[in-house]
Amino acid sequence: MRHLFLLFAALPLFAQTQIQTTIDPTRAASVLRIAIPAPEVTGTTFDAINEPLFKPLTRDISMSGIFAIAPLPPNVPITTEVLQRINAQLLLKLSVHTEGEDFVVEARLSDTTGQPQFGKRYRGPAAALTRLAHLLASDLVRTLNGKPGPFQSQIGFASDRDGHWEIWLMDWDGGNQHAITHHGALSILPSWSPDGERMVYTSFARGTSDMYIINRRGGGRIRVATGLNLNTSATFSPVSNDIAFVGSINGNPDIYVIKDDGSNRRRLTNSPTIESTPEWSPSGRQISFTSGRSGTPQIYVMDAEGTNVRRISFDGDWNDDATWSPDGEQIAYTSRVSGRFQIRVANLSTGESRILAGEGSNEQPTWSPDGKWIAFQSNRSGKWQIYRMRIDGTDIEQLTFNGENKDPDWSKKSE
Amino acid sequence: MRNTSRAFAWTLCVVVLGLFAMACPKKPKVETHPAVVDTTPPPTVTIPPNNPPVDTKVENKDFVQEKPIVQETLPADIEELNRYVQAHGYIQDAFFGYDESQLSADAQAALTGSANWLKGDGKGYNLLVEGHCDERGTEQYNLALGDKRANIAKEYLATLGVDASRIRTVSYGEERPFDPGHDEAAWAKNRRAHLVLVGK
Repeated sequence: MRHLFLLFAALPLFAQTQIQTTIDPTRAASVLRIAIPAPEVTGTTFDAINEPLFKPLTRDISMSGIFAIAPLPPNVPITTEVLQRINAQLLLKLSVHTEGEDFVVEARLSDTTGQPQFGKRYRGPAAALTRLAHLLASDLVRTLNGKPGPFQSQIGFASDRDGHWEIWLMDWDGGNQHAITHHGALSILPSWSPDGERMVYTSFARGTSDMYIINRRGGGRIRVATGLNLNTSATFSPVSNDIAFVGSINGNPDIYVIKDDGSNRRRLTNSPTIESTPEWSPSGRQISFTSGRSGTPQIYVMDAEGTNVRRISFDGDWNDDATWSPDGEQIAYTSRVSGRFQIRVANLSTGESRILAGEGSNEQPTWSPDGKWIAFQSNRSGKWQIYRMRIDGTDIEQLTFNGENKDPDWSKKSE
Repeated sequence: MRNTSRAFAWTLCVVVLGLFAMACPKKPKVETHPAVVDTTPPPTVTIPPNNPPVDTKVENKDFVQEKPIVQETLPADIEELNRYVQAHGYIQDAFFGYDESQLSADAQAALTGSANWLKGDGKGYNLLVEGHCDERGTEQYNLALGDKRANIAKEYLATLGVDASRIRTVSYGEERPFDPGHDEAAWAKNRRAHLVLVGK
């Protein structure tokens, strides 16, 4: 597995200035029609690169919300006339050749008159072709609207497929699923560091629930000694090396913050009721959490120092798992409606909320770094599996299929 | 070890019944007993009220001298031991209401019985109290709820005279249901403080 993480070089084909585009970025809100002919291949075959490269690339592009793929007629030379006939506004030409063990992928994006919009050369071993596809797709989106797509982000989750619950990672589209912990003991609730290099999680490896940090390659594992019980729901601050978590003394779970080296522990809540599930706002200035202080579990927000606590959920008799949209304007959480859990998205300034998802119980929402998708867990199939949907609730897709899978946490970084 | 603890239990009975004058082979220890009794809440008086003092005396003597009849051999294997003490009701789990972490009368009775064994024949064992929840809540909140349940059971055992330093807690939330079912019968079994002996 380790070779998957080998770096591949991405070299500009053209000078940087040529990447600027004649397409008005404000138009990226509307969908651009893009024609993508099959790559020209040298030293390899189309079949060899179709699954690892071409399919994930075209899938990313088609799901970007920016491009729509214009189907090309078969066996026809691509001319300006052909492109106009299929209403294409852009043409993405790909060529792939091999240099030793490496694959070199060249991508050229032009408008229908042949005017170049984007050009880049990517290089990597066969095992890196899918990552290369996601990088290229992300580059294309950034070229058009200034911000990268979510295609390089990853989703951490817990899976019991190998007999024990362990921490796993997958690409945004469900590809490349692999375990990063091997405790042989209940290990759950992973949460990404803001730089996407580490995860903090809870494991019962010592027979008690402890906080651990591991890097995304599965190395460098440390246990963070908090001096408290429970050590669940740990989550990195987006702006410092603080970790918020649920700690307990004598059966009183409250929200605490501790540095990632186990120093400087601070208590943020001090209530005899249950406090759980802290989550930082993107600015790091506020923390949402769940509290039973009103009699049922409800969502509250406080300043990062533990002051200025206010309740933000009022619908439903059990709310938990609050998580902030990347722009900090919305909070998604798990909300019980008519006895079943659903994903609720609330606008913090208006207080209005809407229900997403549907069948079964749906829990633990997590936002994509571009704020356009939410991943969550659902038992609609009879087992807990991880799904992904657009934030309007459409395009629901199941991402996991082996064993049971839960606790999704989407990386906060696009690149 | 068990002999002396059994003797100790019997001596306690004697004290509770107010028979201080009864012949007790270890006189110096008698002085410490009233303090132990003071910390024991009323429900721990489980001796049948019609138990004749004379019989007590005789049995006590027999026990100390001959170690017969009531002597039982506990399994050495810790997992077997846990099955054994649960099957015989020496150790009983405490069950909770939905989203509750308060002890019901039944839960208190279960813990009282467990405390008596832990102070008697089980005196040498350390205890793990696992907090469990049913599946109807959310995972993260339930981990915290399980922690509360485990600790409330631990505290109650401590007030009944079980040394708190012998008791560790852990919360499994809804991660390890006893009954995988999805109905109230299963849920009721899964809301518990589960008592586990973890060696001496």
